[in-house]
Amino acid sequence: MIIHMDMDAFYAAVEQLDQPALRGKPVIVGGRSKRAVVSTASYEARKYGVRSAMPMFQALALCPQAIVVPVRMERYQMVSAEVMTILAEFSPLVEQVGIDEAFVDIRGTQTLLGDPRTIALAIKTRIRAAIGLTCSIGLAPLKFLAKIASDMQKPDGLTIISPDQTAAFINELAIEKVPGVGPATLVQLKSMGIRRLGDVARVPEKQLQAKLGKAALRLTALARGLDDSEVMPFRPVKSMGAENTLGENTSDLNLLKKHLLMHAERVGRELRSGRAKARSLQLKIKFADFKQITRSTMLEKPTQSSESLYAAAVQLLLQTRLPKPVRLIGISASNLVSSATPVQQDLIQGEAEQKWEKLDHTLDSIAERFGNHMIAKATLTEKEK
Amino acid sequence: MKFTIRKTDIVDVLSKIQGITNRKSNLTITENVLITSTDSKISVAATDLETGFIGFYPAEIEIEGIIAINSRKIFEIVKNFPKDEIIINEVENHWLKIGNEKVEYNIVGSNPDDFPEIPLVDDVNFFEINSFDFKKMIEKTVMISAASDEKRAHILGTHLQCITTDEDESIIRMVSTDGKRLSKVDYIFSGKLSTTELPENIIIPKKGLNEVGKFLDTDGIVRIGIKNNHFIVKKENETIIISLLEGEFPKYDGLLEIGEKNKVEVVKQDFRMMLKRMSILTSDDYKGVYFKFANNNLTISTANPEIGESKEDMPIDYSHGEEEIAFNPYFFIDSLNFIDSDTVFLFFKNKENPCLVLGKDDKTFLSIIMPMKI
Repeated sequence: MIIHMDMDAFYAAVEQLDQPALRGKPVIVGGRSKRAVVSTASYEARKYGVRSAMPMFQALALCPQAIVVPVRMERYQMVSAEVMTILAEFSPLVEQVGIDEAFVDIRGTQTLLGDPRTIALAIKTRIRAAIGLTCSIGLAPLKFLAKIASDMQKPDGLTIISPDQTAAFINELAIEKVPGVGPATLVQLKSMGIRRLGDVARVPEKQLQAKLGKAALRLTALARGLDDSEVMPFRPVKSMGAENTLGENTSDLNLLKKHLLMHAERVGRELRSGRAKARSLQLKIKFADFKQITRSTMLEKPTQSSESLYAAAVQLLLQTRLPKPVRLIGISASNLVSSATPVQQDLIQGEAEQKWEKLDHTLDSIAERFGNHMIAKATLTEKEK
Repeated sequence: MKFTIRKTDIVDVLSKIQGITNRKSNLTITENVLITSTDSKISVAATDLETGFIGFYPAEIEIEGIIAINSRKIFEIVKNFPKDEIIINEVENHWLKIGNEKVEYNIVGSNPDDFPEIPLVDDVNFFEINSFDFKKMIEKTVMISAASDEKRAHILGTHLQCITTDEDESIIRMVSTDGKRLSKVDYIFSGKLSTTELPENIIIPKKGLNEVGKFLDTDGIVRIGIKNNHFIVKKENETIIISLLEGEFPKYDGLLEIGEKNKVEVVKQDFRMMLKRMSILTSDDYKGVYFKFANNNLTISTANPEIGESKEDMPIDYSHGEEEIAFNPYFFIDSLNFIDSDTVFLFFKNKENPCLVLGKDDKTFLSIIMPMKI
């Protein structure tokens, strides 16, 4: 059996945990600027129709009494790490799929820890006792069903689809609930009269394939109760990035560079903590008209130095024509190699970069001990004008 | 213009200048070779605006003239020509007819007036050097080449300097680096060289030196001179002239010193084959192999997460502390290929310091290789 664990209204719940005054009140985690969106809303706010990704002004129109608190990503990551550590007590096969959800394969641990239902309840109890938060758990023989199940009784739910219920469940499962079925696919499927996953079996495979292509194979497999995706404890990280929507659209290169510096520091830190070096860097810009462009470059050599990432990002920015003010700017480092890979040292030059790397490591350890905002490059400490 | 020339003469020179004319320059005319016929010889000139060449070859001249013609095309035509004598004839307005009664090519040339002038430098204080030794020196330095987008003079070029040792002997030293490794080659020159013959801080583009290497014979002598920021190599009928690079070459004297490094002796061929086998499992992302010196043993190993692992031992005479250092094996293989000695010394200290590679019987060629960071 496979467990899918999903924390309930995670960001909002952490805020309510840290600030008792917020408990039982409608809380919205998100930005304050005029273009901010809702990151997470507490269940109290959800009653008013507030949803994640909703523009903030709309959310506040629905629920004017809501308390808006800023996103504290580092804190959520800390709590998330605690949750994952707890999950690891129950099985070595834990696949984290986001900050607040994970799959746990408990097929091998039942003789040790009891039947699946006991394990699921134990997880819920442990998380509540150790951290003070609730989660919802789906328990099913297949990964995709576990994920669907965890969403069925929120918050603080436990939904079990036992092996002998699986066929009936699949038969009745609304097709739009199946992971991977997006709005476009849904239209196609409905045109073929498919409303439930069980309906898929009634449509000839060829016809399905003609309409959906490769996706058809997966759907027919799922409809037959076959899901060959395993719980993968290590998901290779392909890229690391940082981006932000600016407070106001701007064409000011100096201001944009400042954001790049911030992103480079963050990505550099992430690379260093993941012991990886990037070989290429991508710059992403979204303009005021929502048109988005990306530009990428190969780095001279694999790097995890914030300074090198920043230099490459600035170079890309300067090579990019900015026909409209910029709304969002971000970078992502990809083509990652393990920093355990030996990297050629310079015989004559390049001391400069090594010094920067040393500085980065010092900054990282300070940030780790005292928090992210204790230390920063001087250009980042000035207040934004 | 009309002349008859021996196939071997023209094929030989055209094959050697392909490197110059195939290099991209700002002018498309430099893809051409300039052929001039006068008296009883022709001159062949080529340039990439940095390296210029001019040579003279005997020919039977019927009509004097000058033409600029695509270097690669004329080379391919004459190379495969079925006769030992080739008639080259400008029939009209830059059109060139190559052939005899059976084989005939008509190809169009360019306006010879557009061909850039090859700088002629007079009053050069030439000095003489053994052609074969100079060829080897060039090979040992240009093996460390620069990336195509490189701009730094000390990586694009080889450093040339003269070190006076005593009254009647000097060392002509060439040094080449790519910032990660360095080659130093010495030539013992009997006699003294003044700074008018060999000024200080000369940086010669490796691209040009590479072309020089193609013209050097394996015997005899060749004349070298420096004048007006040009490096000139002169054979009897052929001259190459290269514009020097401007820039500072980093100080490297300290790197050449063995100092307190550990010394290990290896059999060149065994060591080279060992490294060749080790390099099988390297890739662009995982170039490094680990050298572990300990207990009279050298273990070289690779671990490439994408392919696999390998390990090999070699007995050595070494009883100091254990040192593990990662290196790019190709740097060693490149150097070993040019070391003229069956036994090779490795001088190393630790993973922070470069390793020196020196032939036991050839003290003129020293390689310095920086480790990779583990």
